[in-house]
Amino acid sequence: MSKTIHTITLGRRGFLQGAAATGLAAGTMPLASAIWAQSGTTLRAFSYADIDKLDPGFYQNGYNVDVMNCIYTKLARYKPGREWEIELEAAEELEQVDDTHIRFKLKPGIMFSGGYGEMTAEDVKFSFERVLEHDSPVKGDWGPLQSVELDEEDKYAGTIVLEKPFQPLWTITIPYGVGHIVSKKAVMEATGDGSDFGMEPPAFSGPYMLEEWKPNQYVKMVRNPDYSGDVQPGYDEIRIIPMDDEKVAERAYEAGDLDYTALTLSSLANYKANPPANTMIEEYPSLYYVWVGMNLENETLKDENLRKAIQYAINVPQIMDAAYFGEAAPSTGLIAPGLTGHRAQSIVPPEGNLDKAREYLEKAGGAPSQPITIDALNATTWKTIAEVIQAQLGQIGIQVQVNVQDSGSFWTLGMESEGDRWKNMQLIVNRFSMLPDPFYATSWFTTEQVGIWNWERFSNPEFDKLHEAALSEADTEKRSDMYRQMQDLMEESGAYRFLTHEGSPVMFRDDVQPALRPDARPLYLGFKPA
Amino acid sequence: MAIYAIQRFFLSVLIVIIAVTLLNVMLHLVPGDPAVMVLGPRATPELIEQTRVAMGLDRPFVLQMMTFFGNLLRGDMGVDVFTGRSVTTIVMEALPYTLALITVSIFWAAAIGIPLGAYSSIRRNSWIDRITGILSVGTISIPSFVMALYGVLIFAVWLNWLPAIGAGEGWGDQVIHLILPAFAVGVSWVGYISRIVRASMLEVMGENHVRMARAFGLSEARITRAYVLRIAVLPAVTLIGAGVAHLFSAAVFVEVIFARPGIGALIVSAVNERNYPIVLGAVLITTAIIVLATLISDLVIAWLDPRQREGI
Repeated sequence: MSKTIHTITLGRRGFLQGAAATGLAAGTMPLASAIWAQSGTTLRAFSYADIDKLDPGFYQNGYNVDVMNCIYTKLARYKPGREWEIELEAAEELEQVDDTHIRFKLKPGIMFSGGYGEMTAEDVKFSFERVLEHDSPVKGDWGPLQSVELDEEDKYAGTIVLEKPFQPLWTITIPYGVGHIVSKKAVMEATGDGSDFGMEPPAFSGPYMLEEWKPNQYVKMVRNPDYSGDVQPGYDEIRIIPMDDEKVAERAYEAGDLDYTALTLSSLANYKANPPANTMIEEYPSLYYVWVGMNLENETLKDENLRKAIQYAINVPQIMDAAYFGEAAPSTGLIAPGLTGHRAQSIVPPEGNLDKAREYLEKAGGAPSQPITIDALNATTWKTIAEVIQAQLGQIGIQVQVNVQDSGSFWTLGMESEGDRWKNMQLIVNRFSMLPDPFYATSWFTTEQVGIWNWERFSNPEFDKLHEAALSEADTEKRSDMYRQMQDLMEESGAYRFLTHEGSPVMFRDDVQPALRPDARPLYLGFKPA
Repeated sequence: MAIYAIQRFFLSVLIVIIAVTLLNVMLHLVPGDPAVMVLGPRATPELIEQTRVAMGLDRPFVLQMMTFFGNLLRGDMGVDVFTGRSVTTIVMEALPYTLALITVSIFWAAAIGIPLGAYSSIRRNSWIDRITGILSVGTISIPSFVMALYGVLIFAVWLNWLPAIGAGEGWGDQVIHLILPAFAVGVSWVGYISRIVRASMLEVMGENHVRMARAFGLSEARITRAYVLRIAVLPAVTLIGAGVAHLFSAAVFVEVIFARPGIGALIVSAVNERNYPIVLGAVLITTAIIVLATLISDLVIAWLDPRQREGI
């Protein structure tokens, strides 16, 4: 097996099925907006969160990676578009020699800023191996990485050696966070031992460089004068503005303070009907997955019939109407359409079945005498979902109490390390983010994760075996089947009712040509004036 | 006066210590693990535990507080658990934005509220007095975040006169970015101040020393300015001093709505992330400012009113 890549497709072509793309523009932008918005070649974009880590080996979340994409380079990167593909970036050649060896050859002449010289395979080795060496929280992204071997004759070439095959390497390792290459010399000078350099990048190699970070205000990137690659930066300056509330971003866009923003699904219909001046609105699917989980070890929910009664009593389209204003579609599992492992349909139909729910409830000996609890985050969408479920379960006689929690409390709810709270947890409305490989979704639901992130405490040896096997399976169809089976097992346990993958609408000025991943994640590197 | 000031100073320090300790107790009572938040979901339990130890969270609460106050004496408020930056730096970066916001808010509110209250009391029951009364009660009852939302919609979104978010760069730009937030925070204070000044002036106008001034033939303008307003403004000064805490809470909402940096926005995100060092540092500074403002208002009153000085 040997393949050399220039561009590879990561998922099936059907990723966008069911997602409409709409472009809308009208009117003229008011004078004041023109002044505050895109001035010269500055792009102002919204981000959900501020950055808090710029060391790719220790990255925390996608917001950090959005910036890293611009200031560092990787062997390969996601290609903007509607389909999941990667394209070569720093690598001139990238070849899967066999299941456990990936040979790369860097383009000559990629320079690090600050006089740190040319990027070589030595920098690649350093960047990848330090993730394991320094026990990074995201070392799992490198899976079974053994080492990076250098080519003795070619300073630009080397081989990534894995202990065993690892398919997510192509989808989430090389083109994402830990795939970024840093300057060995610069990092060693800055840290002494190659460990986490936090928020102070010692050298840049991307088309942009970080000029200023004002916490909770903006991240300002400007063209990197030392950049010698093939990307032509579209803007002199990119300013990413963090805002906790998407609605604030929507108003800021309307006021002309932003050129690009994500939209909430609740605002989408309104914006489509009355778009702001000179604006394009596009809808993209999302990779997030939202579900209702049930704690299998809770005394009340130990009864499988009760769990199945709950599964069948939940009507997902009703939830979509109430919580997402009909702008999101019901999901069939964890894995979104277009990705390896997506299920065509769920076992329990989206609408549920009240008769079946009552049958299961009868087998369970009737509704619990005490109300069962449902925990949700303290935002409108999650509260609404919980309240609709409360009403739906009420139809079969199950009383539900909604518990709303702030993010700090919520995100430790099912963790054993946080005491005994997990024991009292019953139903939970949950939402996880996702990268374009099914491994990223199923890894949270293994037995190993019980009491950590597997709050349903779902433990199934077959699931665990499939999860391990799928990591190495090179045949896409076989791999896909494995992930479909895993989702079947989850649903059959009665511990999960899958709700939706939501959606990712975005809004931007018609003089901006955005570069987005298929899930609408911005790739600022490719943003250009239209 | 000096003894009074020293007593007040020590009392203020005690209040700050108690407030910060109580807040920390509350933070530890609510569930949430800073180590988990810092490391993200993919961290191993071992790494989470190591981080917890490194952050000192495995130690008894009393020890954690003693360490905090001990470090504080050396001017060290710790480091942000996410970015590793100094808490002092982070808080001091955010503080000027909030101080600017509340200072401008209260000054414009006082600049309008005091003359408005004075005029209403002089022209009692006139149509201006009646309109002022209605508007005052109206603005008092509207929360600042509602004002902020409507301010953004009208002046930023519909009219495009003012920016909707941020704090601006450079002096002029920062002033422009301050207009809407300061309007939102200050508008209810116009009502408060004008009502209290009006009531106070009406009361003072009936006092003996004012009648005496009239008997001496002083002009009404001079009586109002020198004999009435000087005393009638005291309750407004007390109100503003005590209201600094209220202004800080209003700033929290307004900073979030305007995506504006500041102590309020900093505390909100730090509490959500269980970023204890930032919460402690920010609350310490905020409490100190509130206590200081109360102290200053007491001293100003003592300076303005000789009777108060004698009482001390």
